[in-house]
Amino acid sequence: MSEIDIAGTKAPVVPSGKGGLPWGQWWRQTLAIMRLDLRKGFRRPYGLLLLALAPVFILFLRMVIPEAIEDSGDIPGATNFFAIIYQAFILRIVIFLACVSIFGNLIRREMLDRSLHYYFLSPVRREVLVAAKFLTGLLVAFVLFGLTTVVSFFLTYLPLESTSVQNFLFHGPGLGHLGAYLLATFLGCLGYGAVFLAFGFFFKSPAIPALAVFGWEGILFLLPPLLKKASVFHYLQSLCPIPIPEGPLAILADAPSPWVAIPGLLVLALALVALSAWKIRGMEISYEES
Amino acid sequence: MISETMTERKTAPAATAAAARTAAATDRRVTFENVSKFYGDVLGVNRVNLSIPPGITGLVGPNGSGKTTLMNLLVGLIRPSRGKVSVLGLTPDQPEELFRVVGYAAQYDSFPPGLTGYQFVESYLRVHGFSAKDAEELAWKALKRVGLVEAAGRKVAGYSKGMRQRVRLAQSLSHQPTVLVLDEPLNGLDPMARAEVIDLFRDLADGGLHVIVSSHILHEVDLISDQVVLINGGYIIAEGDIGEVRDEMEEEHPVQVLIRCDRPSLLASRVFEQDHVVEARIEEDGRTLLVRTRDADRFHLLLNEIVMSTGITVEAVAPADSDVNAVYQYLIGSNGEKS
Repeated sequence: MSEIDIAGTKAPVVPSGKGGLPWGQWWRQTLAIMRLDLRKGFRRPYGLLLLALAPVFILFLRMVIPEAIEDSGDIPGATNFFAIIYQAFILRIVIFLACVSIFGNLIRREMLDRSLHYYFLSPVRREVLVAAKFLTGLLVAFVLFGLTTVVSFFLTYLPLESTSVQNFLFHGPGLGHLGAYLLATFLGCLGYGAVFLAFGFFFKSPAIPALAVFGWEGILFLLPPLLKKASVFHYLQSLCPIPIPEGPLAILADAPSPWVAIPGLLVLALALVALSAWKIRGMEISYEES
Repeated sequence: MISETMTERKTAPAATAAAARTAAATDRRVTFENVSKFYGDVLGVNRVNLSIPPGITGLVGPNGSGKTTLMNLLVGLIRPSRGKVSVLGLTPDQPEELFRVVGYAAQYDSFPPGLTGYQFVESYLRVHGFSAKDAEELAWKALKRVGLVEAAGRKVAGYSKGMRQRVRLAQSLSHQPTVLVLDEPLNGLDPMARAEVIDLFRDLADGGLHVIVSSHILHEVDLISDQVVLINGGYIIAEGDIGEVRDEMEEEHPVQVLIRCDRPSLLASRVFEQDHVVEARIEEDGRTLLVRTRDADRFHLLLNEIVMSTGITVEAVAPADSDVNAVYQYLIGSNGEKS
């Protein structure tokens, strides 16, 4: 490590890239921001834990009092049951609300804490800051709700006869289903996360725009095919292995193929994170207004 | 025509060299070029032109005068509505380079939640890109400089106001910047800590650093600053060495000098013969003479002559209104300590 002499003391110098973009430095800074954000931003995530445990609690109740719900008690019945729980509750409500809370507050919380300026006074590109914060949110969201998905999936099949469950999992489509749900969870966190991260730069409080998006996603089944395309849930739904009935009023539309849905969500997330990065470059610190 | 061309040829290298010298000098300075900042219709600062050399610079003005706006403009936390800011040749639009050489302790008394003093300093060093080992070393060094080693393991939320002030100072100087910008850094410090921090500023400035300190307490800045910038209502009203600023005001506000001697009446009669002396008054103690003069240099020469010729014994000579407080009072008609 090279050193420079400032005020008579030897100061370590941050190594810089030898020409080209300093990817190494950006990566170190990204990791440092993620470490710091995890340490200070998610110390007591009680609300998130409650959200993550809500589906587990429902599936636990189903195990304890199976007669409370109409359940045929076989593999196809359990598979349909999980498809409904996952799409109607985990994806549409739990992951959605968690993303509002996590990503909508990544910048806003620091404005309220009046601690954002410490990042702005560091030699870090603001684009790197946004990317690092988004990755922190994605990590927290996916770890929590990926686990929720896995635990809920296994709890669904736990009350069933073990041989048929083993056959379903290891010799049937079971693990494939789980993989598809995990992919939908990841892309859900990514897509909704990017949406609410960007909202954080345009709205003082994420609650009202979040409510608008929630309403939009809620009436998705009533929308014509063209409008359905302007929805994160539409693409996520198409990745789920078991379709669920949408009711007699639903306007049916062809689900996009995974080859459209996955790149589409990735491009959407990338575009929204880029928009957030552009917004933060011109951002001024004015805590008084917040 | 020919001679013009020859002149151009002869002067061009000299002009280039001069430009290079100016550029190099500018690169050692913090400069504001015609900078204005408006918050909607509200004026933050207006038409600020400054060129700040290394050393301790005191930014002085009452609360709401524009000190924090000026500092926030310097580090890019806010953008100028007009004009250009440059720190050692770098602009606030280049945070990756700028914050390698600039440290800023803002006046916001807020910290990331849940961190200890050590974690606070070390974490942001990691954000700078320092390795874990270097960050640890630099963090301890900075905490030692501000006397917070023993409290480093405690949560910042449990610190006293003075400790929070010191840990902010440690964070701002931990990466060993060449420009240190400190917004009201002595607020909340007890007298002992205040003296230690002032010594630290002096050490840093003696090492060639820019230490830019804001305060609304004038005598405090007067004690520590090599030069001052007086600001009021968003306008720079004076800048430079406080003595020089005071000298420029001699015509309008004659300098007051107190002389304690054994024969003040004789001294008064002799000095009053001079046209630059506008007043000579014996104070109530009967041993002190207050002289108001429009030319302090000539007065001090005159005083020497009188002492030599009359044998008056002078015990003490002291300026009565040459400090920043008096200057500020003359400039804005306030003692500067009002909110």
